[in-house]
Order: sequence, then C-alpha cells, then structure tokens
Amino acid sequence: MSKSEKEQILVRYGGSRKEREEFLRAMINPEGKPEVLSDVTVLDVSYANLSGDICSSIFAEFGAEVIKIEPPEGDPSRKITPFGVNRNGVGVPFIMEARNKRYITLDLKNEEGRKDLKSLAAKAQIVIETYAPGAMDSWGIGYRQLTEINPGLVYIAISPYGQYGEKAKEFLSVPDSDIAAQALSGVCANIGDMPGSGEPYNWPLRAGVWLSWYISGIEAALGGAVARYYSQATGEGQMVDVATADSYASLVGYPVTIGFTWNKARPRIGIHDFAIYPYGFWKSKDGIVAIAAGRDHDFRALLKVLKLWKYEDDYRFTFDRIPDILDQVEQFYKIIEDQTVKYTSDELVKMALEYSIKSARSKWRGGGVPIIMKVQKPSTTMQNPHWAKRQSFQEFDDETLGKFKMPVNFIKMSESPPRIKWVKCKLGQDNDYVRGKYLK
Amino acid sequence: MEDYFDYTKKLFDPSKTREKPEVFKGLRVLDFTHVIYGPTAAKILGQYGAEVIKFELPWVGDLWRFGVYWGSFWRHSSVCFHFVQYGKYFFALNLKLPKAKEIIYKLVEQSDVVVENFAAGTAETWGVGYSQLGKINPGLIYLSCATYGQYGPMRFFPGWDLLAQAASGVISLTGYPDTDKYYKLPDYVGDFLPGNVGALAVIMALNYRKKTGKGQYIDLAQAEALMRIMPNFTYESITGEDLGRVGNTDPAMAPSGIFKSSDGKFVAIAAVTDEQYKAICQAMGRPELITKYANAFDRLKAENARELHDATEAWVKSSNAENLVASAKKYGFSIGLVEDDYEITYDQWRQDRGSVIVFQDDMYGKLMIPGPSAMLSKTPGRIKWLARPLGYHNRYVLKQLLGYSEEEIKQLEKERVVGYWDDRPGIKPPVYYDLSHDDVFNFKG
Repeated sequence: MSKSEKEQILVRYGGSRKEREEFLRAMINPEGKPEVLSDVTVLDVSYANLSGDICSSIFAEFGAEVIKIEPPEGDPSRKITPFGVNRNGVGVPFIMEARNKRYITLDLKNEEGRKDLKSLAAKAQIVIETYAPGAMDSWGIGYRQLTEINPGLVYIAISPYGQYGEKAKEFLSVPDSDIAAQALSGVCANIGDMPGSGEPYNWPLRAGVWLSWYISGIEAALGGAVARYYSQATGEGQMVDVATADSYASLVGYPVTIGFTWNKARPRIGIHDFAIYPYGFWKSKDGIVAIAAGRDHDFRALLKVLKLWKYEDDYRFTFDRIPDILDQVEQFYKIIEDQTVKYTSDELVKMALEYSIKSARSKWRGGGVPIIMKVQKPSTTMQNPHWAKRQSFQEFDDETLGKFKMPVNFIKMSESPPRIKWVKCKLGQDNDYVRGKYLK
Repeated sequence: MEDYFDYTKKLFDPSKTREKPEVFKGLRVLDFTHVIYGPTAAKILGQYGAEVIKFELPWVGDLWRFGVYWGSFWRHSSVCFHFVQYGKYFFALNLKLPKAKEIIYKLVEQSDVVVENFAAGTAETWGVGYSQLGKINPGLIYLSCATYGQYGPMRFFPGWDLLAQAASGVISLTGYPDTDKYYKLPDYVGDFLPGNVGALAVIMALNYRKKTGKGQYIDLAQAEALMRIMPNFTYESITGEDLGRVGNTDPAMAPSGIFKSSDGKFVAIAAVTDEQYKAICQAMGRPELITKYANAFDRLKAENARELHDATEAWVKSSNAENLVASAKKYGFSIGLVEDDYEITYDQWRQDRGSVIVFQDDMYGKLMIPGPSAMLSKTPGRIKWLARPLGYHNRYVLKQLLGYSEEEIKQLEKERVVGYWDDRPGIKPPVYYDLSHDDVFNFKG
C-alpha cells in the first residue's frame, strides 16, 4: 500500500497512535461510567455452593442490585476457606465474592420466609439457586411457581448433574463440591505424573484452584446474560441450568472429542503437553521459567538462544516433536534443563526477548519467537507494575473484614465497565434496606 | 402437580433444541482471531445464533488447524479446531491488500461485533483496529483479546495459554508441595475460560447497546481473566503467605481429597458443610470425630485436616466404589468418581442431557462433541455445522452479504485477494468429499 493510501485510511477512519493511547488509558478507570445492569435486581439464594456466589458477583460487578439471601444462621459458604483462614468468621472465598452485594436473612423453611421470597421475585429479573433439583419447587418457590408471578424472570440453577434426567434424580441426596465436580468432569484424570512415577504421584490430581466452581459460576452468568438479553427483548424469562459435573468438560471440549476419536482415554503425561513441544516449565538457577516454542522456527530459535544448536539436525527432536514418544520427550526435557539451570530466570527471559526483537525486525521473516517467561506466584503477580498500571488489584478496608486485596476490573470496557464499589458481607446487614425498598 | 423431573424433562428436551428461537439471530460477528482464546469468544456468540464470519489468510489458515493431539488428524482435520470453530463462516481473505480492506470496511457497516486476538496494536496497524472500524460503525462492539491487555508496559509480550497461566500465578498452585513439579491446568483451559469471559463481556455490551444504541471497545487480558478465579490474592494479603500447592486435597474442605478404593477406583470425597462432615463421620463409623472437630474453622487447620484425611483414606481403602457411592447417597455427602475421557464420552446421562452430542455433519460425518456448559430452556445454544476447509464460505460471504458477481469473484481470486487451501491436512477438505456438488461452497446466490 502506498503512503497516501495509508493516510487516506487513517484520515477517513482512524486516529493517531497517541489518541489510541489516551483512549486506552481513560478506559482503565471505571469510575463515573454507567453500568450495564443498573436496572436489574438479582436474588441469590445459593447455599453451601460458592459457584452461585461467583455467578451473582459477576452480575453485581456489572451493576445489578444483588440480594444475597441467607438462612438466619448464615450460608455455610462463609466457612468454606483454605486452612480455616477467616476474618471475623468469614472465609477468604466468601470475602472474595462479596462484591457490591446486599445481605439479608430469610428463613425459607417457614411460610413467612417463602412469602417474602415470592414478593421479592415478583420485582426481580434474575434468581440464582444451588439447592438440590426440585427442592425450591417443593417449597413452592421454584421456577414453575415464580415464573407465574413474573413471566420475565431468568431462573439460574446450579447443581451437580443438572435439573433434568435420570442421573440428577438418582443423585438428589448427594451435594455438590468443587473437588467432586473436578473428578467427574475430566479435570483430575488429565493432571498428574506419568504412569511410572509411583504412587500417589501418578494418581489423578486436583487442580489447585476451584476450577469447576469458577467455571460453573462464570458459565451460569454467561447463560444468564444471554437469557436476560432475550427477556429484555421479548419479556419472556427462562430457566438456565448448569451441571458442575459437566461444565469443565463442555468448556474445553477435549475429553469428549478425544474420547470419541481415540476411542480410549489419554494417559497422564506429567508436565508435558499433548500437542506442542516444548511447552512447559523448566528450572532456572533461581526459580522456574515457562517455555513455549511450538512452531518450527520458534523451536530453532530456542536452540540458538540456549546454545543447543548442535541438536538442530537431530531427527529425534526437530523432525519429530510430536510429544507421543514419551522417552524422547523426557530426554529432551533434560537436555533443555541442563542449559536453563545455568542462567537466572531474568537472564533467560532477556535472552529470548533480545532474540525475538531481532528476528521481528529482520527483513528475513520467520526468524522465530521463542517465548520464555518467569513463572509467577500470586504474591509476585501482585507486585508486577504492569498490573498496577492496569489497576488489576485493589485494596479494601472494612470495619469487620479488615484490610485485604483482591483482583478487580477483570474486563476493561470503554462505556460500561464492571467494577467493585464495596466489599461487605455482615449477616443480615441490609435487612432494613431491602425490606424498605421491596417488601413494603 | 406434575412431577418436577417430568416437567423439567419437557422444558429442556434436547431433541427440540433446533425448533427453539435463537437469541442473537440477525447479529453479525467479524472474527479476526486464531488458535483458541479469541475464537472461543466468537464461537459462543455463534452458538446462540449470531452469524460469525471467520477471517483467515488464504493458503495459510489458522495456526490451530494443525493443532492436533499426538500428531493425529481426524479426517484431515483437527478435532479441537472443530470444537472451537463450529458454526462459523470461513472466509479466506488476504487483508494485507487494499481490495481486501474495502471488503472488510463494507462488512463492518453491516456488522455488530468484531473480535480479534493478535498482539496489542497489530489490528490497528493492519487498519482493522477499533480506532478505524469504530468510526465506520459507531454501534460496533469491538473485543480485543490479548494476554496482557492493550495497555501497560508488558502489552507487547506474546502469550499462549501457558504464559497466561504463568503470568497470573495460577500455575504455581497445582501439584504436591514436597516435589519440584508444577502442573499446568489441562486442556488449554487458560484459553477457553478467558474466551468465555470475552463472550460474556460482549453480551453485556450488547445489552448496553440495546438500551443506549452505543457500541464500545473491550480490552480483555487473558491473565486478568484467570486472576478472577483465584481467591489466592486475598488469601495472601490476609495471611502474608502464598497458599501454594496443596496436593490432592481441597484445603477449604475437611476431610476432602481424591482417594483410592479397594477396587482401584479413584474417588473424590468432600465435606462441604458441618452436616456433610457429620454424614462422613457416621458413614465411616467414626462418630467420635463429630464432637472432636465440631467447628469448621477448627477442622480445616492443617494438622486436623491431615488427621481427617488419613481417617477417610483408610476408610475408602477398605471399601469399593459402589458401596461408597451408596453410602454418600444414604448419608448425604459430596462424592464423585474420577472419570477419564472415554467414560465422559460414553456416560449416558451426558448424552441425555445434551452435554455430549452425537453430531452428524454433512462434510465430516459423525463426531461426538460437547454441548454448551449452560442449558437454556427457551433459547438453547446449538451446533449447526463443524469447521470447514479454508475459504469454504468465500462465495457465500461475497455474494450473499456484499452482492459480488461470479466474474468479480474470479477477478479477486486471480489477484489472490481471496483464496483457498493447499494440500496440507488441516486446511483442505477430507479426500473422500466431493466439492463439486456442494451448494454452499459453489454458492450461486
């Protein structure tokens, strides 16, 4: 394209680089901008299942008025926390998901409480619940009954096996947990060391985060947002059903498509990857680095960076880097490791970057971009100036919860970004506010 | 009143999915993405009815067309590519050329959403950034997906699922604390999950546009999306130390873990509440533990949790999986057997639910593929077709949406503005497939 053509496009449609920078900088801070769901009220009756709280948190971050309804003794979720760490009886995950919410108590075991819930649901747009399938229905406050008083209602239910089908019926008395959901949905079967590594290291392994609960919560919010869009357009509500024992498998697609095309399960292959090599972690002099150099030219570049060029014509590694011959994979892992331990993480990152910059500038394209990055821990991630610049973390100070930090503004939007306005979760703290506003 | 499960069965009946309405019907998405992270966001919108046009470079194609496990293609295609790209229109356009840009700008006028996941600023350089396209169509919603986001000192750093996992710190959480091994989250979930968050952001923006008529720009950082699933930062700021790796237990529930039963099955068991804790103690015949650790915070302390873990381990070892499940049903605690790929694929309940679909495709034949994670009773997500070879929908897009004639298209092909595949698997159609009778590929208009 000639220079004048380029200018024409810029003048006709675009702006300058500086303008873009300013625009992006202005996006980082959500304060003072409108909220998408400012006209939405959400009732969160989730019980002993944080995936419900995660779902309602997302609506709250986008501006919905979320009313978390707990039994008078409190939701047991308050006590689900790593090693029992808590602030005034509230556990860490519950604090993390106490974003912009109203907390009230209602006793759904008695008629009075159910009546109040019905009156609230008449004025709400979204309901979230995690009881056993049919429990709310048997109390007269399920989707069937609430949709009669409020046809536009979006009703989100999260349970181990979903709201319909024989399996759900058979397992009614079995409650949900993240670890069981991980096991059932194919997370655990695909983490763990190689068969020969000895017990228990070759067992299926739990992912060290609440992968199933978080995926279920986010998918419930996604489905709920789609349903809300439809209800806004047509006035028709509907039921959104998430099965935690399935949500991971359906999100990533691998377990089913591999199970069908291979007609068998994958083995556990430790720290290696099925499709790309090298793609994993190596020790450095002072820590651990992640290395990704999947494409051929990236791989060759990596050999140069790590001074391993003598292996360039070794067919075992260059021709055949499909990681299916595990002995070979292990062997090459060791060869790379022998080099990486000679350098500190920072040195390795710098070596790879310098090479990449040079090859990107070269007129001979295809020089390869080997990627080496330092592996972070949550504590070091929080210190990264990049995230400070993006305001990814925020410190809060509450009279009962004390001081703590959490990740915020996980989506940056120019017009209607999500945000956290407050983090407070005292049991029944908003009883008066909610009764005054909705139950008069 | 009708039985609840009879009622819900009718409400969600997967065989009726195709008859139900689509939420985003009439919306058009331009998809300038590759590999998994960006394409997933666009796919979700397509799943609910949007028309997604996927742009690829002719004779090159999406890198992930060749992303296969252990080097095996399925019918000259990648199954993972099918999963991340189903239901899209495949348009191979060389967007470096001015003529291609004209085509894109015309499409933007009649589109609602643009998704891209190149390195920060690349789309801008190519003339398809928000600062350009947003001016053509002010109602446009533009989602940029990058590992570190569009703004900040590290914005130009390249990223993959692995590097987003490394940057967010989620990588340091899985494994045994007494070893030097860290395991990444499997199956590129570090791409899939942020991709879904991207779709969520677009849906929120669509909602906002419905009310105000305004489009907007979305800057989604893959690593930030992963941070959203980690209470570990809050944990660190409260205790002053990282939670780290915890092996095969959930430190937030005691007892909890993955145990091996007497018949060699792996069983996940957890006590989420006080009630479930009592249930487990009774089931394993250790009622004295109920009063010993009546307080949840107390039993979660590392040494107490260890004692409960060991007691549970011994109990599970002495019983078979069937009895354990029966006991969980009777007493009421959380249980799940570890299922592998094969078991998940052929689990009947997943097929009954529509979570596993036996899909019959016009080009590729039968493939079992997962349905959506969330089931919607009135407007369910659906799969219409699998991925297609490179440039398969060129004629459809040019004729149907832009009114090009056959001669004009021939000219574009001659100038290599649009193009197709070469002989590599991944981008070409399966060998047995006869394209000459394909009405979509040879779209007449």
